[in-house]
Amino acid sequence: MSKASPVWRIVFWRELRDQWVGGKALVMILIYTLLLGIYAYLFASNSELQLLPLKQMVLEIVKAAVFVGLFICLIVGADSVSGERERATLEGLLLTPTSRRQIVVGKFLSALSPWPAALAVAIPYWVVLSKGDVALGHALVWGPIMGTLLAPAFAGIGMLVSVWCNTNKSSMLLSIGVYLLLILPSQYSGLSTVTQSTQATDLSNLFQLLNPLGAANRLLNDSIVLSAPADRLWLWTTTPLLFPVLVLAVLFVYVGPGLQLEGGVRRLRARPI
Amino acid sequence: MSYSETTPRRTEVLVAEGLQKSYGPRMALRGLSFVLKAGRLLGFLGPNGAGKTTSIRILTTIMEPDAGRFSVDGISHEYPDQIRRRIGVLPESFGLPKQMTAIEYLTYFGQLYGRTASDARSVGMELLEEVGLKQRARSLVSTYSHGMRQRIGIARALVNDPVVVFLDEPTIGLDPRGQQELLGLVQQIAEERSAGVILCSHLLTEVESVCDDVVIMSSGEVVASGTVADVIGRTEQNTMRIRVPAEALEDAQRELGTISAVRQVTAASGMPGWLRVELDEAAAEDHFINNRVLETLLRAEIPVLSFEPEGGRLQDVFLQLTAGGIK
Repeated sequence: MSKASPVWRIVFWRELRDQWVGGKALVMILIYTLLLGIYAYLFASNSELQLLPLKQMVLEIVKAAVFVGLFICLIVGADSVSGERERATLEGLLLTPTSRRQIVVGKFLSALSPWPAALAVAIPYWVVLSKGDVALGHALVWGPIMGTLLAPAFAGIGMLVSVWCNTNKSSMLLSIGVYLLLILPSQYSGLSTVTQSTQATDLSNLFQLLNPLGAANRLLNDSIVLSAPADRLWLWTTTPLLFPVLVLAVLFVYVGPGLQLEGGVRRLRARPI
Repeated sequence: MSYSETTPRRTEVLVAEGLQKSYGPRMALRGLSFVLKAGRLLGFLGPNGAGKTTSIRILTTIMEPDAGRFSVDGISHEYPDQIRRRIGVLPESFGLPKQMTAIEYLTYFGQLYGRTASDARSVGMELLEEVGLKQRARSLVSTYSHGMRQRIGIARALVNDPVVVFLDEPTIGLDPRGQQELLGLVQQIAEERSAGVILCSHLLTEVESVCDDVVIMSSGEVVASGTVADVIGRTEQNTMRIRVPAEALEDAQRELGTISAVRQVTAASGMPGWLRVELDEAAAEDHFINNRVLETLLRAEIPVLSFEPEGGRLQDVFLQLTAGGIK
């Protein structure tokens, strides 16, 4: 006799289908592919003019792929709960005798699904643009590692915001706000490391280390452009490792079980077993 | 094996006692108490803002009460997961996914209730047949008409063979035939499945005709509850309304005033052509008073176009009990 599937798997497959059959994930990946194509074309033109070193060019296309891939995960996560609230489909789900945490796990896994797709789309561009340079090897190792570490964090942030917001609009705006707060400083400090990495101050290093996107930016720069050995890179994996752990702990331990119809989280109280 | 196969269903399938809920300083529910029995259809009535939706959300475990308690099939509200296994709900507004067919939709929910995919699918097909949508089982639910959406919503509410079914305004937005068909389906659910059904509706005539029991709420309080007949009877007044031709109004008023049991005859407010006849208290025991009133008019050769006791309809009771209760 076949057994009933776990709830997270049922929710995951349904969400996956909703996102990829005419849903947000498909549309965003199509736009991403187009934009990455344009970006790569511009870099290819540049390689003829030689305005930017090849390694720097590879770094830029890898960063674009990783950071936009993370953005897609964030947006899909941001739609996952508040979107259902707005479409009035959440109540039906909450009326079933399923664990709230498992619902959140299913939705979370589905919000992660754009990342492998984004990576699959990006890698051919990296290969073509690198023209067999040694930077490709570093890009192929560290790009996927950084993206795979940070994608759960960004999908998780999107979901946290989505659980708290009643409308999709506020969820999207808030998520984009958080993303900008993280990416803008990382790009600024990233720029300084490109030009004067050895003279970078301790303070700017610290800021970069604390910001997961800053740390990822620095790691990609040091590995792809400076070909730094692995032992010099490990420090920059600290935040990209810890940040997802923190976000997912909040999502699955505190927020997930308190998922409710209205925005916010139900205060949990002990129930008799 | 489903719960219903292993455990005999209790007669009282839902018992609510003193449920209270506040939103900040506003008290939305001030002690809701009632009992629903298996196989009975209970009309849950009240003007907008009376606390119906809050009550339903508490009873369906979407919200927690601030005070009071309730049980479904003997299960305390402190075990919401177990209660959810025993209830089916059609919320007032519910969305349907864009990319799912009706059978996929019901299979999905069946699986969420712990059924295997094949079991959920076969239950889904049975339900689609029960609600008259079998022919459209493979159509996308996003292409359904409003009436069909309500039916698929009811089918979803039945996917777990519930002991109590909550239907929040299931007939809203339907044409008269659609309303009638849906109410027939609701009656069928109560009778054939022996489920207790709570029907929230503003269609008082329909509630009166299909429901066994009724709870009327106003400003967060229960202002009347019991069987439909009891509730109507309890508030019946010693007053009747008579409609006569406009040119005969004065004559009719004069003739009716000559009857000793009649206390007062006035024009019924807001009802042109109608007279409101108030009888004295002793007339309540007189079973022939209606005959004598009509006889007086017939003897005076005044045509009687219509005649009805005031307070004899659920609508009258509702308007009387909820006057001033609309927030």
